[in-house]
Amino acid sequence: MTTTEAPAVPDVRRTVAAARARHTVGRVLVTLARSIAIFVPVFLVATFVTFALRALSGLSPARIQLGEDATPEAIARIEEQWGLNRPFLVQYGDWFNGVLHGQLGTSWTNGADISTLIGLGLGVSLSVATFALLIGVVAGFGLGTLAALRRTTWIDRAVTGFVTAISVMPAFVVGIVLVAVFAVGLGLFPSAGYIPAEQGFGPWLAHITLPAIALSFDVVADVARQLRSSLVAAYSENYVTGAVVRGLSPRRIFFRHVLRNGLGPALATLGLKFPSLVGASVVTEWIFGLQGFGRFANDSAQAGDVPAVQGVLVVSIVLVVVFNLVVNLVLARVTPASQRGV
Amino acid sequence: MTTLSEKLHVVDVEAEAERAEDTSVAADPAPVLSVRDVRISDRAGDREIVHGVSFVLTPGRAVGIVGESGSGKTLTCRAALGILPAHFEVSAGSIEIDGRDIAGLSSAEWTALRGATISAVFQDPASYLNPSIRVGAQVAEVIRVKKGVKRGEARRQAIALLRAVHLRDPELVYSQYSFELSGGMLQRVLIAAAIAAGPRILIADEATTALDVTVQAEILDLLADLREETGLALVVVSHDLAVVAQLCDEVLVLRQGEVVEQGPTRQVLHDPQHEYTRLLIAEHEQYGLDKFLAPQLAPTPDSQEDA
Repeated sequence: MTTTEAPAVPDVRRTVAAARARHTVGRVLVTLARSIAIFVPVFLVATFVTFALRALSGLSPARIQLGEDATPEAIARIEEQWGLNRPFLVQYGDWFNGVLHGQLGTSWTNGADISTLIGLGLGVSLSVATFALLIGVVAGFGLGTLAALRRTTWIDRAVTGFVTAISVMPAFVVGIVLVAVFAVGLGLFPSAGYIPAEQGFGPWLAHITLPAIALSFDVVADVARQLRSSLVAAYSENYVTGAVVRGLSPRRIFFRHVLRNGLGPALATLGLKFPSLVGASVVTEWIFGLQGFGRFANDSAQAGDVPAVQGVLVVSIVLVVVFNLVVNLVLARVTPASQRGV
Repeated sequence: MTTLSEKLHVVDVEAEAERAEDTSVAADPAPVLSVRDVRISDRAGDREIVHGVSFVLTPGRAVGIVGESGSGKTLTCRAALGILPAHFEVSAGSIEIDGRDIAGLSSAEWTALRGATISAVFQDPASYLNPSIRVGAQVAEVIRVKKGVKRGEARRQAIALLRAVHLRDPELVYSQYSFELSGGMLQRVLIAAAIAAGPRILIADEATTALDVTVQAEILDLLADLREETGLALVVVSHDLAVVAQLCDEVLVLRQGEVVEQGPTRQVLHDPQHEYTRLLIAEHEQYGLDKFLAPQLAPTPDSQEDA
């Protein structure tokens, strides 16, 4: 290389570095934009259907407040107070505006602010669900990896058998057994109730451990099975042979090459599992006496408290969609080929 | 304009010096790879697939293995790399890499040997690169791990290597993924990754089969340059006699696991002794003529089947 060319080098390097940075940022932005493009219509349709529930159910706050033998005038008066005599789309617009501002309305049964009520329950549920996810991810990854690394041996078969067994156990059965054994029998954990983390980390953890374990079985099973099969598949890929031939160590090949590509399906599974975790929490919260989000949803539905049920649905939609958005972004980072599109 | 060797000099000064020594004692250089009467068996089916292959490879030389698909070309190479598929084993004979018999090598010793002493490139280069990691990072990874250099230095050397294998705009290629590059570019990247740790033997197993003719010629030129300027010893596996004729000093003709003819390239091509070799040459002439008359000829089935 001649000396006259030398000054051009840093410039070229900077341009290329900038191009690479743009490349990466662009990739993330495209993923983000694509996810949001999915998020917005899903949110609109879901909230619309949610809001249409009241009209479809024919429920009215008047029935709850005045009982069955209310006069038509009294009912009309109450409905007017709640603004239910206005056109449907006006009500929807009004409610949707509130949702965007975090206002989910007022409960028909006790006039309390639904956002506050849900906020209280959500703390409990998210604690349990996050812990369950954590257990699911750690145990699922551990078991899946173990089975994949010892594929076709007795260890693989034992893990696969165990995972299949726990995958068919419903959370409520597991919950009852856990309470009977660890809370009532051995007295290791409290059998019911909840203590917020602010009042002590230990008691908080103790109270959410059993429900989280009960909820996690399904996640453990799905993550482990998915990870095992995708790791086994990744091991048979040519790029593993390529890495071997280049003289990389088995450990490096596993962590940098195999695991990274095997991770995709397991992560996608997590995205699918999250909604069912929220769903399963109704039953588990019942068993463990937790005043959580699922319990609140159930109570509201039983009482015919339509605004509360709508609030629950909106929060569920946001939770599920946001969780999937995060999973998509992580996937885009881990396996860029998955974003190629078709 | 810098020559290839000058560029590689930047990349690996030590290995360069080592090779220079090797070629200086060219009178009778020690073989880097010697394969002696190697037989490979399938334990599951209990049958022998390769019935005795022998050749000796010294630095800067090239051996070609030709034969139809299923003749045991790839198995022989895989045996030398220690990556025979499950159930397959070397049942007799010996393979020595740089004077070491590979029979007793431990997993860690294999890891140390591969990349640094013996390396390989294959057909379908896209599949041999990890789709989730930038191609440049995969080249840099080899340099970092095998030569123990720091990240920044490994990156610099990787870019120099990408330039050395004649990739235009190596800095851009460095940050691309395998699905963003063409077959010819990928094969160059794969070659860069294979020679990153300065191996003495490179096995090119159908490395140009999936490429179109002009790119194939460029890759063959690149391999010839590497061989000439760095003293790399080549094992070229191909079903295509033209590829072997262009690169190799010695040719082995394999048929159903049997070496039917072996000798200097010129001699084998001009004066084939075995009927099968004559058939291969005759078919090649026929094929070449056909290709000349009908340029858009479909690829031979061999290119897909030979794994």
